[in-house]
Amino acid sequence: MLFNSWEFIGLFISTCLLYFNLPYKYRSSLLLISSYIFYISWRWDFAFVMLGVTLVNYYGGLKINESKTIKKKRNYLWLSIVLSLIPLLYLKYANFFIGNINNVSEIFDSQSRLTLLEVILPVGISFFTFQALSYSLDVYFGKTKVEHNVVNFAVFVAFFPQLVAGPIERSSNLLGQFREKHNFNRHDFIEGSKLFIWGLFKKVVIADRLAIYVDRIYENPDVYNGPTLAVATLFFAIQIYCDFSGYSDMAIGTAKILGFNLMQNFNLPYLSRSIAEFWRRWHISLSTWFSDYLYKPLGGNRVVYSRWLLNIFIVFLVSGFWHGANWTFIIWGFLHALYYVIESWGDKVLNWAKQTRIKQFNGYRISKMIVVFILVCYAWIFFRASSISDAYIISNKLIFDWSGNLYLGASTVSFVLCILLIIVLVFVQILQYNKVVSLYFSKSKIHSIGQLLWYVFLLLSVSMLGVSSNAFIYFQF
Amino acid sequence: MSKKSFALYIVLFLGLFITGDQVLHKVLIKGLNQYYGIDEPNEIALVGHSHLMLGLDKVRLEKALDKGISKYTREGVNVNDRLVMVRQLIDENPNLKTVIYGVDAWTFTGEGLSDNSYKLFYPFLDSPNIDEYVYNNSEKLEYLTKKHIKSSRYNELLLAGAVRGYFNKWDNLKFGELDTLKLKMEIDKGNYRKIANNEANITVFKETMALLMANDIKVVLLYVPTIDMLETIQKEEFDETIQIFKSQTNGDITFLNFQEPWSHRYELFFDPIHLNPQGQKKITDQLISFLKTR
Repeated sequence: MLFNSWEFIGLFISTCLLYFNLPYKYRSSLLLISSYIFYISWRWDFAFVMLGVTLVNYYGGLKINESKTIKKKRNYLWLSIVLSLIPLLYLKYANFFIGNINNVSEIFDSQSRLTLLEVILPVGISFFTFQALSYSLDVYFGKTKVEHNVVNFAVFVAFFPQLVAGPIERSSNLLGQFREKHNFNRHDFIEGSKLFIWGLFKKVVIADRLAIYVDRIYENPDVYNGPTLAVATLFFAIQIYCDFSGYSDMAIGTAKILGFNLMQNFNLPYLSRSIAEFWRRWHISLSTWFSDYLYKPLGGNRVVYSRWLLNIFIVFLVSGFWHGANWTFIIWGFLHALYYVIESWGDKVLNWAKQTRIKQFNGYRISKMIVVFILVCYAWIFFRASSISDAYIISNKLIFDWSGNLYLGASTVSFVLCILLIIVLVFVQILQYNKVVSLYFSKSKIHSIGQLLWYVFLLLSVSMLGVSSNAFIYFQF
Repeated sequence: MSKKSFALYIVLFLGLFITGDQVLHKVLIKGLNQYYGIDEPNEIALVGHSHLMLGLDKVRLEKALDKGISKYTREGVNVNDRLVMVRQLIDENPNLKTVIYGVDAWTFTGEGLSDNSYKLFYPFLDSPNIDEYVYNNSEKLEYLTKKHIKSSRYNELLLAGAVRGYFNKWDNLKFGELDTLKLKMEIDKGNYRKIANNEANITVFKETMALLMANDIKVVLLYVPTIDMLETIQKEEFDETIQIFKSQTNGDITFLNFQEPWSHRYELFFDPIHLNPQGQKKITDQLISFLKTR
C-alpha cells in the first residue's frame, strides 16, 4: 500500500475519522490496527517479524528498567540488540555472506558451495528494527522513560506514516505522543496536507519520471557514452532525493494531520557546503541514530586522531551496509568516509595557513557547494549501480568516453520535462533556503492565496504528470 | 484558524482544483482534437499505429490533394483500438468519405502491441463509445479516477500532442537509417516479431470494415512497406496475411500494397517497420498518385 494509492487514502481517511471520534483510551489500539493493516498489505507474514522485534524491545525495556545492576542492564540490552538484529541479519545479510564465502572458496578452488537462502526481505525491516532498538538503548542510557503499555509501544514501532521508510523516530520524541490526547486541529490539517502534497509531487512527478531514464541507462551502462551516464547520474541524485524526501514529507504530513510531530528528515542536503554538512542535512534521522548509538559510544571525536579516523570509517561503512547487502553500498559508505576525512584535512590546511578569511568569500562557498554536489553524485554511482563492475564502467566512461550524442531517452518531450522539473525543484529549494517559502512548517513569506494556488498547481501536476511507480527506493532498506 | 476560515480555505482549494481540472481538460482536448483532426469535417482520415504515423506526411498529402485530412494514428494501437478510433471518427465527423487504414503483416498478431492501449483513449472519455471501451478494459478504480479527475487522463506526451495541435505541427519524423547487419544477426538468432494471425483479431478487423461499409465510407487498406528480411523469414505467414487483406477487397475496399518496390530499399527505413523522412516522402507521393487517379 503506497502513499500515492487510493487504498492508502481510504485507510488514512477512515483512520482519521475514527481516531478523532473514538474515546481516548481506544485511540492507540486504532492506530495499531491501522498500522498493521498498512503493513500486512505487503505480506501478512512480514507482520510477525515486526511483532517479534516489538515484543523483544518492549520486554527488553522493562527488564533493563527493572534491573538493579549495570551489568544486568547491559546484559538485557545486549539480549535485546542481538534478538532484534537476528531477523535483519538473517533476512537481509545472510545471502550476502554466503555469496562472499562462495566467492572466496572459488578462489581457493574449493568444490564446496553453500546454497543461497530463499528469503524475501520484509519491507522497511531496517527502519522498524532501528526504531525499536533506539528505545532499548534510550532506556539503558536513561534518555527515555520505560513504556509499560504494550499497545503504545507497539504503535510506536509500527506507526504507519513512518513505518516503512522513516523518519526513524526516537522514543523520546514519538513514544510520549501516544500518551497524549490529540484533537483535530485545523491548522495541523492544512499544514500536514500541504507537506503531503509537496512530498507527493516530488515522488510521483519528479522522482518516478526521472527513474524511467535512470533505470534504462543504469540497466546497460556499457551501451551509453559519458554525457549520457553523467546525466543519468545527475538524474539519480535528484530522483533519490525526491523519492526519499518525498516519502518523508508525506509521512510527516500524514502524522501532522493526526496530531503527531515527526522529526525532520531532510534539510536541503544538496545545498550543503561540506560533506559534514551534507550528513547533517541528509536522512537526518539515520545520521543522528548512528551518531548517538555508534559514533559517540565508539568515542566520537574525543579520542586520539587515528582512533577518530577509524570511528569515521566504521560509521560510514556500517551506514553503507545498512542500506543494502552489497559491496556497492559499502563502497558508497567508504567514499563518504574518505570525503569526510579529506575535507577535515582541507580545513586543517586552511586553518594552519591562517586562510580562514577565504571561507567567507561567496565564490568559495558556491564552489564548495558545487564540489560537494559532484562528490555526492559520484558516490551515488556506486549506490545505484547493480555491481561494482558496472560502477567501474560508468566511472571509466565518465572520464574517457565523451564522444557521441547525449541520449535523450524514449521521448524527447519527457527528457525536456525532466529538466524543467529539476529547475522547478532547484528554484523552490533556493526559496526554502532563503526562508521565502515554507520548509517543514516554517512560516512562509508568500501570501496565503499564492500558497493556495501553488498547492492547487502541485495537485494538478500530480494528477496530470504523476507516474505510477511500484515502490519507493528506500522501502528496500 | 476559525471554523469559518478553515471551511472557506477548503472550499476555495477544492473549487480551484475542480476549476483548474476542467479548464486544463478543455484546453488539452481541443488541442488534441485539432492534432488528430477528430472533429474536423475532413473527407479523408488516416487510421493506424506508429507504422502509418511515420509512413505518411499529412501536410504533403493535404497540399497535393487540396483538402483537409485527419491523421488519427497512435502508437501501439491494435485492431480493437482501431475499431474504437473508427467509431469515434464516424461519431464526430459526418463528412467522412474515405478511411486509409494502415495494415501490415502483424495486423492480426496479438503480441507486440500494447495490452493496455485503451489508456490512450482516456482524454476522450466523454465520448460514449470511448467511455464504454475504457470501462470494459480498465480496473474500476482507475476508470473512476480518470472519469472524474479529468487532468489525470493526460500525460506529457498527450500534452505535447495538444500543443502540436494548437501550433499546427503535424510532422512525425524519425531520423536515421536501419543497421541491416545488426538486424540480420538478430533474425538469425530468432529475435524478430513473429506473424501469428489471431482469429479474434481478424473478426474485429472484419467488423471494422463492415462498420465503415454501413456508413458509406470507402476504405483503402494501405500496406506501408516493412523491410523485406522480415517477409522472407516467414514467407508463408506473410502471404497468408496478405491474402486476408485481398479477400476483403470489393468496390469500396481497396488493398494498396506498397511493399514493392520499397521493401528492399534499406536506406528508407529507420527501423525494420518504420520509415525515415526519406521513406515517408516516397510513400506519401505514391499514395498521392493513387488518390489522384481515383
